[in-house]
Amino acid sequence: MSNENVGSKAQGQDPPTPVHYITMLLSNICLSINGPQRAEEHDRLVNNALKSIMENPNSLNEGRPTMCEDDCVIKILNILNAKANPNGKKEQMPGNVFLKTYTKLLKLDTDEKQREALMNFLLDILDNEQSTFLRPTTLMANGKDGGGDGHKDFLREVLSERLSPSYPYRKQQNGGSESSERVAYSYDPGQSIAGLGQVQMPNYTDQLLNQQDVDETLDIVTNVLFSFTGIQGKFLRKDVVTGRFKLDTANTNLLTTGDAGLMLRLSELGYYHDRVAEFADPSKGYSALGCMGQALTCFLRKELGAYHGEVALLHDQVNDFKKAQVKRSFVDREQEWLDSQREQVTLFKLLVWYTKPLHRMQWLTKIAHSCMMKKGGELTSVVWDFLDNGHPAVDKLVIDLLTAMCRPLTRMISQWMLDGDITDLHNEFFVESLTDIGPDRLWHDKFRVRTAMQPKFIGQELADKILRTGKSINFLREVCEMNELVKGQGELKNIMESNAGDIFSYTQDTKWHAAIEICYQNTAKHVLDYMVGPHKLLEHLQCMRRYLLLGQGDFVSIFIEHMKDELEKPGTEIFAHDLSAMLDTALRCTNAQYDDPEILNHLDVVAQPPFLGDTGWDIVSLQYVVQGPLATMLEPTMSTYKALFKPLWRMKHMEFVLSTKIWKEQMTNGKKLRKMNAEIGKASYKLHLFTSEIMHFIHQMQYYVLFEVIECNWVELQKQMQQATGLDEILDAHEKFLETITVGCFINSVTDKERHLETVFENIIALEIWQASFYKDCFKEQNARDDLEKKIAASEEEGRFGVTTEEKMERDQERKMFEQKLIIACRGLSDISCAYEKAVSGFMMCLNSSEDPQLQLFGTRLDFNEFYKKRDTNLSKPLTFEHMRMSNVYNSNKNSSTGSRFVINSQASLSPAM
Amino acid sequence: MPSEIITLQLGQCGNQIGFEFWKRLCMEHGISPSGVLEDFATEGMDRKDVFFYQADDDHYIPRAVLLDLEPRVINTIMGSSYAKLYNPENVYLSKHGGGAGNNWASGYSQGEKLQEEIFDIIDREADGSDSLEGFILCHSIAGGTGSGMGSFIMERLADRYPKKLIQTFSVFPNQDEISDVVVQPYNSLLTLRRLTSAADSVVVLDNTALNRIACDRLHIQNPSFSQINNLVSTIMSVSTTTLRYPSYMNNNLIGLMASLIPTPQLHFLMTGYTPLTSASDVNNQQTVNIRKTTVLDVMRRLLQPKNMMVSTGPDKTNHHCYISILNIIQGEVDPSQVHKSLQRIRDRKMAQFIPWGPTSIQVALSRSSPYVQSNHRVSGLMLANHTSINSLFERALNQYDKLRKRGAFLDQFRREDIFKDDLNELDESRETVDSLVQEYEAATRSDYMHYSFKRAQGDSKSEDAKSGGDH
Repeated sequence: MSNENVGSKAQGQDPPTPVHYITMLLSNICLSINGPQRAEEHDRLVNNALKSIMENPNSLNEGRPTMCEDDCVIKILNILNAKANPNGKKEQMPGNVFLKTYTKLLKLDTDEKQREALMNFLLDILDNEQSTFLRPTTLMANGKDGGGDGHKDFLREVLSERLSPSYPYRKQQNGGSESSERVAYSYDPGQSIAGLGQVQMPNYTDQLLNQQDVDETLDIVTNVLFSFTGIQGKFLRKDVVTGRFKLDTANTNLLTTGDAGLMLRLSELGYYHDRVAEFADPSKGYSALGCMGQALTCFLRKELGAYHGEVALLHDQVNDFKKAQVKRSFVDREQEWLDSQREQVTLFKLLVWYTKPLHRMQWLTKIAHSCMMKKGGELTSVVWDFLDNGHPAVDKLVIDLLTAMCRPLTRMISQWMLDGDITDLHNEFFVESLTDIGPDRLWHDKFRVRTAMQPKFIGQELADKILRTGKSINFLREVCEMNELVKGQGELKNIMESNAGDIFSYTQDTKWHAAIEICYQNTAKHVLDYMVGPHKLLEHLQCMRRYLLLGQGDFVSIFIEHMKDELEKPGTEIFAHDLSAMLDTALRCTNAQYDDPEILNHLDVVAQPPFLGDTGWDIVSLQYVVQGPLATMLEPTMSTYKALFKPLWRMKHMEFVLSTKIWKEQMTNGKKLRKMNAEIGKASYKLHLFTSEIMHFIHQMQYYVLFEVIECNWVELQKQMQQATGLDEILDAHEKFLETITVGCFINSVTDKERHLETVFENIIALEIWQASFYKDCFKEQNARDDLEKKIAASEEEGRFGVTTEEKMERDQERKMFEQKLIIACRGLSDISCAYEKAVSGFMMCLNSSEDPQLQLFGTRLDFNEFYKKRDTNLSKPLTFEHMRMSNVYNSNKNSSTGSRFVINSQASLSPAM
Repeated sequence: MPSEIITLQLGQCGNQIGFEFWKRLCMEHGISPSGVLEDFATEGMDRKDVFFYQADDDHYIPRAVLLDLEPRVINTIMGSSYAKLYNPENVYLSKHGGGAGNNWASGYSQGEKLQEEIFDIIDREADGSDSLEGFILCHSIAGGTGSGMGSFIMERLADRYPKKLIQTFSVFPNQDEISDVVVQPYNSLLTLRRLTSAADSVVVLDNTALNRIACDRLHIQNPSFSQINNLVSTIMSVSTTTLRYPSYMNNNLIGLMASLIPTPQLHFLMTGYTPLTSASDVNNQQTVNIRKTTVLDVMRRLLQPKNMMVSTGPDKTNHHCYISILNIIQGEVDPSQVHKSLQRIRDRKMAQFIPWGPTSIQVALSRSSPYVQSNHRVSGLMLANHTSINSLFERALNQYDKLRKRGAFLDQFRREDIFKDDLNELDESRETVDSLVQEYEAATRSDYMHYSFKRAQGDSKSEDAKSGGDH
């Protein structure tokens, strides 16, 4: 190892190098040997000597007996002092100068052996006057040895100090390996040597001192620059916990307080750089996820790249300056070159520079931090929130970032809207396709908006449009098996994908939004035309309204008329194939025959499996069978239709029982039984009035459900269907229609309303049964009387007395029995009417206390002439404010069952006929 | 075909209004006078099969039976362009052609004599229908044929077709002018008895009111029969419109009647119609002074007595009330307006209702014929069961009593079989009509529930008296 290399180890910390000192030593000795001479000559000699030392470091000790270093130095000093001009000042004596230089050299950690060799070599030069070293050809050493006792003492002091254990250079040597990696930035001694041959050396000492200051400043700057990229240096080290830079305690003493503060401030940038770098590295696990996350990471990396570039430029500047410094020492002549170099990079300059990148890095950190572990729409929403910033730079940054991130999103959207495909490996798209749902539920269930992934800047409406468009495409392709999809697809795709930045615009009037709108409308129209046209959606809805919701009253009544025998049979005796034949007949009989047979084919009558005691009425129902694209659209509503059909059918049943059976029987039997008016008049009169009361109730009920609920909403629906621009509008309107009428049709079977209603219905059935047996008894009695009278008449013609006593007794007995039966029947009617009235009162109560204004109005109209109100004063209570406070009024009403007005004072009614 | 209705036209008046009725139906259904469907008419909108049936050659033939004892009106009909419309087998003219001489008894006896031939026609017509719902009878109660033969046929129909409904459109005589038929009070009373006992529902067409309406509302000084009959045909066609243009409710006769008639006796219905325009107004395109027509307007005007086709006596005690109301509304109607109007009428208490049972204004929205241009946006017909109709019967009773007290004009009645022995028939009829008046009167009171008791007692007394006599 050469001296230079040894010296270079310490270079990082201490700019003055051994070479300088060696050079100085050489020049010192040269001076003492040759005496003052021309500077050129002197330089040439010193350089030559130095060169020879450099070239043959090992030649120094060749073949020479070595002396101890201390002895060598003492001898050199003696020689030099002896040669010195005795008149000269003590300080300028060559020996003293040498000693000064030597002590400086000692301070450097040079190899002892080498130093010893060097000293021996120098001594040799001095001793051997013949040596060619440092001697010009004509040169003669003219120095004399001078007294140097004082010097000897000084030297000894220095040497003893060196031997003490506290001497710092050992320590330095141990820690030196750490800094060796920064060789790239170290001072290259070769450079300075390269110029030595041509350059005359100026005043070395001053120059070297200056250079040392500059180097120190540059060292700090370099350190700071390192820290900018997150690299620790001599002064700045990272905190293990926070990752922030802090001053290295070991080297703090080398810095001024101001510098230290500045460095700390500047190192903040390094911290943020580290954070950003962390977020940009997916392996760290802090980065955002998914395609959009990748876009974010990429953007961060790009930012880091740009930033590194800037730091590198600064580095260059520092390095250039350093080079310039070194060159300035040797190359004065190339002044222009020097002038063109950068200024010195100082901490203050860095402070000016660092604000902008710091700001950027801070925001990037902030954004990246909030994006941590997020993906897709959520991620973009988070970034989008940062748009709310008044700082134009931040705004720009976020826009750039968001644009980059939205690019995958727009691609997904365009693919979805134009092709109906979802390529979404990371589940980050806001439309989701459920794989386990087949094409039959494609329209309603297969696709849905993944709300968590819906970016904030895509509103619900827009998201719905996007969802619907893709859904429509899928529908057309999979269910309708159509391949001709969107017109101008390529163009739209281009617009959608190339205007990623438009997606998060505050106003939705950009090209991108326009393209979405066009795409949506085209597709919606396509599907709408397809469904309304070839698939007759509207006609089907119309058909369901007419037949399932009993809009076609004549059809239903004829259907019932045809099936009445079947319907009254026990449920177990009903067979579906009989029913379909009857349905066909009913369809043929009515105007349904003019309907599109294709649509009527969907209408079907089914019999559910009967429960014990069910009659045909309970199990027969009309159904609508849908297939293909229609099924996709309407299948989910079918259950609602089924549910709706039940109460409607039940009401028709009641109407049928009331009018065709009860009322008609009364009218026709009334004529026949006129003779018996005396006995049954009272009962049948009550029966008439009771019937008319029920009739009113059922008619109003039916009117309300069929007209006010269904018809009014249907008219509304039809309007909406006419105006609809998209299929979903129709379907939504249809669903809303069903929902509304579901509320109005008393479907729910758990509330009081419906329970009361059911009781009413049960009582109607009970009345029918009662009436049948009542008239049966009446007719039996009347026929018996007629027979008797005929017999009497016949016997009178024969001229003998009409009846025997037994016959008369028997007749009287029968008559008595009939009267008994009548009493029982009257009681039965009273029971039925009591139960009925109670149920109606309860129902009215429910209506009046209902929160639905429609039902309240229905309640008041059902009681149009305030009959119920007069009968049951509780009914007016729900409409008062008092009731609102005391809602338990209703409960008390439950118990207050007043006796029916149809209770017949049976004793009074049965005035003896005879 | 389902729910068919057979129309019977009896006598001069019955045939005249029947003729107008069929003319109107043909127009509404797009059927030409010869029975062929017009080119502009499309299937599927309406139900023609209630009133018509199709012959083999696609002719639409009315389910109508034309009966008269004198040829004048029927000859007019058969001489008109509508001659080919009717099935000639359904037109029955009495052989001797002398008519009933405005004598109820004569008409009744002739009916009895001709019943086989008549019921051949009716039975054939009834057999031709799948599920006959009932009969509609058009007649007047004052004349001879319509009242007398009509009464007989009604009784026979009730016996023969006990499960079928019998509705009548009965024209009541004009009280304002002195009738040339002196026995009109007798005729009316006797017919009223049958209308009470044999018919299921009677739509009263009061000539008094019709004339008044023609004068006051249509500004016709001396309304002709055809103008009056035009009004009648409007009422008849609109009251059957829910049968012919079916929608969700009231699509059969029974459904219409059942809710209107609470007890078997109270089946006399009044009608009202608005807006009223005469044919000349329509032709001249003069806009009659009719205010804007909304559903509420129509329903409110229907409740005004001046629009009623029955002129009832002044209700001095103001106690008469509606037993039931059915409004048939046609035209462009916003459905949601209907219940708002109902609510308004209820809130303002525009109509007085019976106190003894629940009742309300029922509304049926009906489509109207697309072939008949109406210059009104909304029009409405009211079928109402109102207690004040008993003033009509009271009037008939009074007139009868005046005549009976004097024993005038009874000779021609005694000539017929039914009055051969005594005039009991007249007395019984008076009793029936009187009980009807009493029942309507009772229906205004809240204790109507207990009315039947008294009446039953009264009846049973008479029955007792009868049966006592027998034994």
